[in-house]
Amino acid sequence: MQHAYRLVTTLLLCISVRAAYAQQPPEKLVSGHFTHLPFEQFVRELEIQTSYHFFFDPPAVDTLFVTLKVQEQPLATVLQLALQGTALHAAFDDEHRVYITKDVVIESLAPATFFSPAGSTPLLERPVAEARSTATPGRSRLVSAAEARVYEVGRGGGAGKVTLAGHIRAQTNGEPVIGASIYSESPNVGVSTDQFGSYSLTLPTAGRYLLKVRGVGIKNTQRQVVVRGSGQLDVEVEEDIVTLKEVVVEAEKDRNVASTQMGLERLDIKTMRQVPTAFGETDILRVVLTLPGVKSVGESSTGLNVRGGATDQNLILFNDATIYNPAHLFGFFSAFNPDVLQTVELYKSAIPAKYGGRLSSVLDISTREGNKKKLSASGGIGPLTSRLALEGPLVKDKSAFLLSGRASYSDWILQQLSSKSFRRSSAQFYDLTAHISHEINANNTIYATGYFSSDRFRLASDTTYQYVNQAASLKWRHSFSTRLVGVLTGTYSHYDYDIRSDANAVNASRLQYRIDQPGLRADFSFFPNARHTIEFGASSQFYAIRPGSLTPRDENSLVTPDVLERERAVESAAYVSDRIEVSPRLSVALGLRYSLFQALGPRTVLRYAPGEARSELSVIDTVRVGAGGKVATYHGPEYRVSARCVLTDNSSVKASYNRTRQYIHQLTNTASVSPADIWKLSDSNIRPQVGDQYSVGYYRNFRANTVEVSVETYYKTMRDFVDYKSGATLVLNHHIETDIVNAEGRAYGVELLVKKLTGKINGWLSYTYSRSLVRVNAGTPAEQINGGQYYPSNFDKPHDVTLVGNYRINRRFSTSLNFTYSTGRPITLPLALYEFGNSVRVLYSDRNAYRVPDYYRADLALNIEGNHKVNKPAHSSWTVGVYNLTGRRNPYSIYFKAANGQVRGYQLSVFGQPIPTVTYNFRF
Amino acid sequence: MKGLFYSSWLILLGLLAGCIDPYMPDVISSPQSYLVVDGFLNSNGVTQIKLSRTYGLSGGTAAPKETRATLYIEEETGTRYQLRESSATPGTYLSDALVLNPAVRHRLSFSTATGQTYASDYVTVKITPPIDSVTFRPEADELKILVNTHDDRDASQYYRWEYEETWETRPLLTPELEYNKITDRLEPITVYFPLVCWSNEKSANVNLSKTTNLNQDVVSNYVLRTLPAIADRLYLKYSILVHQYALTREEYQYWELLRKNTESIGTLFDPLPSQLSGNLHNVSDSNELVIGYLGAHSMTEKRIFIRRAQLPAEWRIQSGYDDCIPPNILYFTAIRNLNNIFGTYSIIPLYQVPEGYAITSKECVDCRLRGTDVRPAFWQ
Repeated sequence: MQHAYRLVTTLLLCISVRAAYAQQPPEKLVSGHFTHLPFEQFVRELEIQTSYHFFFDPPAVDTLFVTLKVQEQPLATVLQLALQGTALHAAFDDEHRVYITKDVVIESLAPATFFSPAGSTPLLERPVAEARSTATPGRSRLVSAAEARVYEVGRGGGAGKVTLAGHIRAQTNGEPVIGASIYSESPNVGVSTDQFGSYSLTLPTAGRYLLKVRGVGIKNTQRQVVVRGSGQLDVEVEEDIVTLKEVVVEAEKDRNVASTQMGLERLDIKTMRQVPTAFGETDILRVVLTLPGVKSVGESSTGLNVRGGATDQNLILFNDATIYNPAHLFGFFSAFNPDVLQTVELYKSAIPAKYGGRLSSVLDISTREGNKKKLSASGGIGPLTSRLALEGPLVKDKSAFLLSGRASYSDWILQQLSSKSFRRSSAQFYDLTAHISHEINANNTIYATGYFSSDRFRLASDTTYQYVNQAASLKWRHSFSTRLVGVLTGTYSHYDYDIRSDANAVNASRLQYRIDQPGLRADFSFFPNARHTIEFGASSQFYAIRPGSLTPRDENSLVTPDVLERERAVESAAYVSDRIEVSPRLSVALGLRYSLFQALGPRTVLRYAPGEARSELSVIDTVRVGAGGKVATYHGPEYRVSARCVLTDNSSVKASYNRTRQYIHQLTNTASVSPADIWKLSDSNIRPQVGDQYSVGYYRNFRANTVEVSVETYYKTMRDFVDYKSGATLVLNHHIETDIVNAEGRAYGVELLVKKLTGKINGWLSYTYSRSLVRVNAGTPAEQINGGQYYPSNFDKPHDVTLVGNYRINRRFSTSLNFTYSTGRPITLPLALYEFGNSVRVLYSDRNAYRVPDYYRADLALNIEGNHKVNKPAHSSWTVGVYNLTGRRNPYSIYFKAANGQVRGYQLSVFGQPIPTVTYNFRF
Repeated sequence: MKGLFYSSWLILLGLLAGCIDPYMPDVISSPQSYLVVDGFLNSNGVTQIKLSRTYGLSGGTAAPKETRATLYIEEETGTRYQLRESSATPGTYLSDALVLNPAVRHRLSFSTATGQTYASDYVTVKITPPIDSVTFRPEADELKILVNTHDDRDASQYYRWEYEETWETRPLLTPELEYNKITDRLEPITVYFPLVCWSNEKSANVNLSKTTNLNQDVVSNYVLRTLPAIADRLYLKYSILVHQYALTREEYQYWELLRKNTESIGTLFDPLPSQLSGNLHNVSDSNELVIGYLGAHSMTEKRIFIRRAQLPAEWRIQSGYDDCIPPNILYFTAIRNLNNIFGTYSIIPLYQVPEGYAITSKECVDCRLRGTDVRPAFWQ
């Protein structure tokens, strides 16, 4: 079939083909011994030996087998010999093309005749019909025309492999399409676009190809290309406006089974919008929590525990800049405005060598680039927040901007409440995102992102709490050639909190913490040939932390200033990885990352007596490290290996191993993440965390790739992660290492995922069995926790079932149901009282020996879309939902209070009743 | 600061349609009863061991005592000494005054009335050095009581202290009248209230120090006790008896963890507590939890007295009876029935004034409610 395309469409376009039948072909001679070789293979042999390309109708030649022995013969002679006694004829032109025709002898080709639009010859009809059949009805003429057209790429001449590179962009707004696949089915080669929507596809030979393009939220398309040499091909694709069908299907279609990557969850904004949330607002972290292997300790906590890892072991990147606190209002909202998001990728295992610095996962959040074609706006109005995004071209098709903001008006709601204490409260947050992309030329593009989020609240008390996240990134993407692409990225991240207390003039104080992290990284992708994809690069980031300061508010305050010494460090890494297609069935990705961490002076370092439990009383020395001196240096390799073996067309097995190192630790002595948690760098007393993960998975697609099933299992070990001694003080502690113990952990589990993403009923069902265990067995028995045995971590929830289901009633109405069940998290309970040492004391159970009641929740949402006219000025939709449909009082926290010699337990449920919400979204 | 913030957070959570329900799972509402062993093997003197049991979180008056047990101090070599239950305080067991051989290890072995047998691990006998001095230092608005000790052999290193405070209390008011139930009249007092009593309190907190980071085994000015400058126990005369114990490293760490674990009750935001693992076991069931850590060491002690005159004159130390002044007046016009007022002896008549009687509560005049009127033998 491919050859038929070649023939017909080339005929369409070859305006100046001059027939040259029997014209003496130049130089290249053919040798070989062919025995009963199918004609198509014979032709391929000839194409390899000569610079000629053959065009023919396969059905016409499928009965022909060639048996021939030639030595240094010209092509024309060889063909003459091969075609002897058949009805086939060969014709040459001066572009080194050979046309094989049946019965008809091409004497001369008059351009005008062959370029008639009607295409009256039988030879032309077939491929045109073919092209139509793959196109969705009602598609824009532009795209159909692009599909029918044959693109020529590169300058001819070169033998061997060629590389095709370019961008895949949305036709309507020029935004890059991330994660779209572009592939040829014969030969079977393909790649996905990166975060810039660019791809680099290496083809085995120059020649003619039919390239298919599939992706998230875009319509399937294809391009017919004649590749003469390496070159550029940009593809514009249509956005898929129908949101519920076809959305994720195609993107996942290849990935589940065929991709080498495992343990990757990719969500696009359209999928995320369907998941009901408590406040009607699309919340990426909440959706990520529905994925297998991702857990959180509490209902309103956005701290993610990925595959038994702690909440600080996730690298959260927003356009490559680290975000330290991804939550608003203590986790009720995620800090990212859904309007600007493009995709969210969560790597749970097989973390690419490019990423490092955290043990468990990478959550890579990327924004859209903005509409490059026209100005547009979108937004939403919800019960607690409203948001607005504005985007448009700065230079049409070249550069775009995207601005968005989101703010809460919970303050206003608090004022409406009758209780006086609520009226004295205040809670507000907002976030702003700005993104600019500019394409300088085909080889150079610049992207700039700025992000700012702020939270501030005060609750019927005299303490005002405030925290700020800032992130910025500047990226320059340069294509050195079609095979080598480089991205230079500068990033800056900032997080701080500020707790002000003005209960009375004497105690008025401020508690502050801040971290600044500028970084620079260079990443390169090199595509030497179709079998290798090499990525390499280096990065370096500087940390500056002010670990805490308590200062008086004004001169009336008697608070003694207490300022912890600043911490500084540099973390650098270099990496290289190669993805190798060993065979069509087997592909292997090998990666090595080497990271180096240096804690820098000036700083005062305490040295502790070896072999003693660290405490203030075991300090043996205080050492002053001067500016420029090194407090501690740690370095080590991080291995990243993964492999995929395709078993059948719709099933595969993947395996991976990766090692990760982490040099910054979140200190949180409470079960859930709170904004008063601090981040601490490794130093001479706190070692870096090291994790290893082994993972194996089986992937299978059913029913023409519409149902995906995957089973992944993993085993993970972690060492030197941070756990706390009983009674640890974390705020304003001048010797935090005395309250920290190095724990070791192991986690294992099986994740089962069934996804159906087409049809009226779609969604996913996941079941996870996982354990996450911790052991502290260093030091004396008294220092050990639970006698040095493994005990469940705070987020060990063995069973977890999640169902995210959508039912599309028609194109305008759809319903979503979300169901979650999980085992209750472990808890340490006070069991009894006893008298000891002249005092009544509380007997606690072994750490995490008991569990809170199981968690279970169902949510329902109804999405009502406006009408589906594509060209109307504004699109709008309503989301009506009920969160916690059954009103189950899931415990958010369990706490104990002592009063009158009694200790009583209480269970606090955050959403103890059904919460209805309405949100209005618009786009114009 | 942090606690304040967290309580704020709970308010926020509650505000967002949250609700609070009691949480009392079975394990809490009907807890198992565990044996508690409190005491140490005194290597030079009387060993006193208290056996009791844990009790439910919902409280109760006191820990149930474990009575009629049989206890022995056992040398590793086999010699053993029995302890006898004190008749005055059931559940408390006392040995004879013994001198334990520091060269061999010892343990406590006992069986309960129900026949369960328990034993501690064998422990090394430590010799506690004498307390060099107990001093006090008045500072701006508080009084610090300091301990100094040292061990020339550098063998002690880990120290724990307990203390017992005793102080004089004198009510400010002295009744001149008393209610006579028989005559139903207020008559000149015949049974006087004591003028002075001695209050007593044992330390409840855990006081620890170690010298492993020093190149000499010296504890210098360890702050054992801090009293606010207004503390009523400093009003007249105050005495503190300090007990010093040298611990093994393991015992020290047990106490250190105990202190961190139990000096605050677990809320969501408190540090994660964990169970303490002591060195006592049920001989036939190693899984049974037995609370306590049994060490073997001697005890040294020192007592000091602090008189009002030794403290800064400008300190406004409270008497402890300041609230009793001035006394209330019971007007003659308000008296219907004397028995109703004074019959329970909780309201005490003081003296007559022109309009009626000066009266006060029993608490204000009977210092025996705060201690004993028996002068302690050591009192100077």
